[in-house]
Amino acid sequence: MGSLILNENMKLYRRPRTWAMLGFMVAIVLFLSIMDWYHNDKRTEGDEWRNVVIEEKQQRSEILNDPKLNEENRSYNEQRVAILDYHLEHDIRPEEGTMWDAINGTAGLTILITLFTVIVAGDSLAGEFSGGTIKLLLIRPASRLKILVSKYISMLMFGILLLLILFIVSILFNGLIYRFGNIDLPLVMVNTEGEIVERNMVATLWKTYLFNGVSTIMFVTMAFMISSAFRSSAMAIGFSIFALFAGTIVSEVLQAYEWSKFILFSNLDLTQYLTGRPYQEGMTLTFSAVVLSAYFILFNLVSWLVFTKRDVAA
Amino acid sequence: MSHEPIVSLRHVTKRIGRSTIIDNLTFDVPQGEIFGFLGPNGAGKTTTIRMMVGLMSITQGEIIIKGENIKSGFEQAIRHVGAIVENPEMYKYLSGYHNLVHYARMVPGVNKERIDEVISLVKLDKRIHDKVKKYSLGMRQRLGVAQALLHRPSLLILDEPTNGLDPAGIRELRDYLRLLTRTEGITVIVSSHLLSEMELMCDRVAILQQGKLVDVKGIQEFMSSATEQVQTYIIDASPAEQALGALCDMDKVREAKAVPDGLELVAEREHIPEILADLMRLNIRIYKAQPQRQSLEDRFLEMTGGGQNG
Ligand SMILES: Nc1ncnc2c1ncn2[C@@H]1O[C@H](COP(=O)(O)OP(=O)(O)OP(=O)(O)O)[C@@H](O)[C@H]1O
Ligand SMILES: [Mg+2]
Repeated sequence: MGSLILNENMKLYRRPRTWAMLGFMVAIVLFLSIMDWYHNDKRTEGDEWRNVVIEEKQQRSEILNDPKLNEENRSYNEQRVAILDYHLEHDIRPEEGTMWDAINGTAGLTILITLFTVIVAGDSLAGEFSGGTIKLLLIRPASRLKILVSKYISMLMFGILLLLILFIVSILFNGLIYRFGNIDLPLVMVNTEGEIVERNMVATLWKTYLFNGVSTIMFVTMAFMISSAFRSSAMAIGFSIFALFAGTIVSEVLQAYEWSKFILFSNLDLTQYLTGRPYQEGMTLTFSAVVLSAYFILFNLVSWLVFTKRDVAA
Repeated sequence: MSHEPIVSLRHVTKRIGRSTIIDNLTFDVPQGEIFGFLGPNGAGKTTTIRMMVGLMSITQGEIIIKGENIKSGFEQAIRHVGAIVENPEMYKYLSGYHNLVHYARMVPGVNKERIDEVISLVKLDKRIHDKVKKYSLGMRQRLGVAQALLHRPSLLILDEPTNGLDPAGIRELRDYLRLLTRTEGITVIVSSHLLSEMELMCDRVAILQQGKLVDVKGIQEFMSSATEQVQTYIIDASPAEQALGALCDMDKVREAKAVPDGLELVAEREHIPEILADLMRLNIRIYKAQPQRQSLEDRFLEMTGGGQNG
């Protein structure tokens, strides 16, 4: 099994395309960090942060005075004001104007990780069919299941590598810009019970990464399933990317129907339980975990059955 | 050398949808021989090979390699097999060397020395670190042979291995396959639709046609049975016109006509000496009388229904 994974990694990292993706990842983190720094309100960087916080608090209070304000906006603004008060009372500066602002911002790049991993995964399996190399790969003393699993593991490793690059480059680069000031700053946030709490910044960041990683794993699994069924990279990559972008739209359109909570896409974004605003009333993290596991098992079962049972003809 | 066959096919049948592509094949491949699959396009050579290496499922019957059933004991059986199925497609973005490293890792016991040994065997030393996408067809074919030999298989299966090789390359391959069977006791199965190639290479051939086994014969037997039959001869005689007239009058001559290299004559082998003697009695000078090689091909076409497909 180890040598099969080595093989998959060799096929992956000896292609220029893979390095282009890794390079692009680094470049986009650098670019976004610079943009963030450039457009920062420079007052937030020094001791003037209090004035900025007080200003924002005043703005939000004015908004709250408006009697026509709807319920959702009202509760959001109330929360913000509470957080701002917390910052002032406990003398904790907000992330704005520190290295953490851009670092938290680049966490959104996890979607790029999903995209790249899906492209690589779709090609990893289907590419063997279209290139004809599958014939020489399967006539060795390694079962088809082992080959499938080794490809799967190598893809997950690629995803993790991208995640590490995102994390390390982002921390290092933004750290250098701000000379690692406020590196131990806690994150002030509202938890699901509505209380204001302090959280470790890095731990929260990784929680976001990992929750997004769940969706990466699901899309990779889907790409593998389509690869082994249709044996076409274009199909696997195209369909998975389409699902990646259209999925949220689908679940939004169908939100009114109760059964839509069983749709894969309604459960992919686990951060909905971090913010305490689930897709439908009554959905819990456990519910989503069960639904996701069911899809995960189904997808893998299909890939496995199709890949191990079907003739390799062309 | 044991007399156990290295490969046995028992009532092997392959159906895809409603069509039967391989129909009830039963034969053994003896150890240490070069065994040919001979048949026209679409006869089912590649399909049979795909079933032997586990790429295709077997609808009915079974294939045993070195005592292991390819279906139930796949990993055990395939360990003894090295193969090229149709074109040897390699990872184009990797060098030839890394392609070999890739396959070497999949079988226990193939070390760096063995990789180098195989590379010099197929004479790819100079280009082995180039990317495969820069290889010519013949070089890819050589790399294909290299990956098949890497793990010292006892059975080598090569589907149309001479495809893309130049005459020197074909000859080298032939000599090398001979050497493997003689010195290491390896069994080789090659497929081809060219009888002339099979004749030079194989000890025994199985003739396939439309998915059915027509015959399995030792190549000597096959060739001599062909020579017993009616054959075409080319005769260089002078004066040619008189000779042609005389030939046309003879009962033993089935057919005679003028062709660019002389006179073409169809007759039974047994009658040839008499025919030639009759010509000489008419004071016709005979410089050459040669059986046509083409007639072996004709014989093969006859057996396989004139080379028609499907
Ligand atoms: N996947 C498939 N589905 C349906 N029919 C197939 C399939 N693969 C092969 N065939 C049919 O099976 C028959 C045998 O094909 P095969 O490729 O084994 O022939 P071959 O003897 O290798 O021919 P060639 O000399 O052209 O390589 C052909 O008639 C072909 O059309
Ligand atoms: Mg063929």
